[in-house]
Amino acid sequence: MHHVTIANTGQTIPCAADQTILQGAVAAGIDYPYTCASGNCGACLSKLEGGNVSMLPRGDAALSPEQAANGQILACRAQPLGDVTVTWLGRGRK
Amino acid sequence: MSVAPRRNRACAKLLKDVNTILTIEGPTPSALHAIKLKLVALANKIDLFPMADFAMPVSQGRNHPLAIEDDDGMGLYLTINLPGKEAAPHDHGIWCVNAAISGAEQHDFFRRSDDGTQPGKAVIEKLGTVIVQPGHGMAMADHDIHSTAVLGNEPAVGLALYGYALARFPSVVWYHPEFASVRAGVSRRPSVTA
Repeated sequence: MHHVTIANTGQTIPCAADQTILQGAVAAGIDYPYTCASGNCGACLSKLEGGNVSMLPRGDAALSPEQAANGQILACRAQPLGDVTVTWLGRGRK
Repeated sequence: MSVAPRRNRACAKLLKDVNTILTIEGPTPSALHAIKLKLVALANKIDLFPMADFAMPVSQGRNHPLAIEDDDGMGLYLTINLPGKEAAPHDHGIWCVNAAISGAEQHDFFRRSDDGTQPGKAVIEKLGTVIVQPGHGMAMADHDIHSTAVLGNEPAVGLALYGYALARFPSVVWYHPEFASVRAGVSRRPSVTA
């Protein structure tokens, strides 16, 4: 079990290696922004402030190569490889 | 010699035929079935869609515009989804027809079964599955709900025809059985002015 710190709220939550950061956040009761939750829309775009993640398959339109090169991730596709810190960058519409 | 001129003519012919169907009947179930058969017939002409003409996704999913009508017209795309690519259950808010060129994609269909009174919450139940593979397609009405997942180890390449171009899509509504939640995406529809 890894630890994910959500910088927006200051909370640190547990997240299994086979869970996405979004799954961990929702399970912890955090109102993390998301819409599609499957790598298609980009609503959960986040900045990886520290640590490393692996990314599940996603659509090109959801995360550009430039965004990825700048350390941005999709929380719905990112699985922690260790303890990580993230900041969500937008608020998804509900 | 490039097949692009032949492909463009074939795509334009499809849109013309589809407009004829829609003008007569509107997007009824029988009309969408007829449109699906026409899209399957176009996808079967695989010589019109050589992969060398279409860049692979940078990540795992990419749409290439083939024919986009003006204003509120339809959008026809060639879609490439790599193994592992998926989409959670969603409602486009506009009708959609798919047909496979190569590979296979699983489409599961759902209906919403809660009363919709809890904001942000939803329950859906699965109705059935269609495998979109060469020679086959699927059609869905404006508010049908489907999820997609690429099957096997081969890219799923296909044609997707939507009632509106993607750039003018309504809000797509996404359902998440795992979270019992529903979220609506941002509408790309032009704002209506008085």
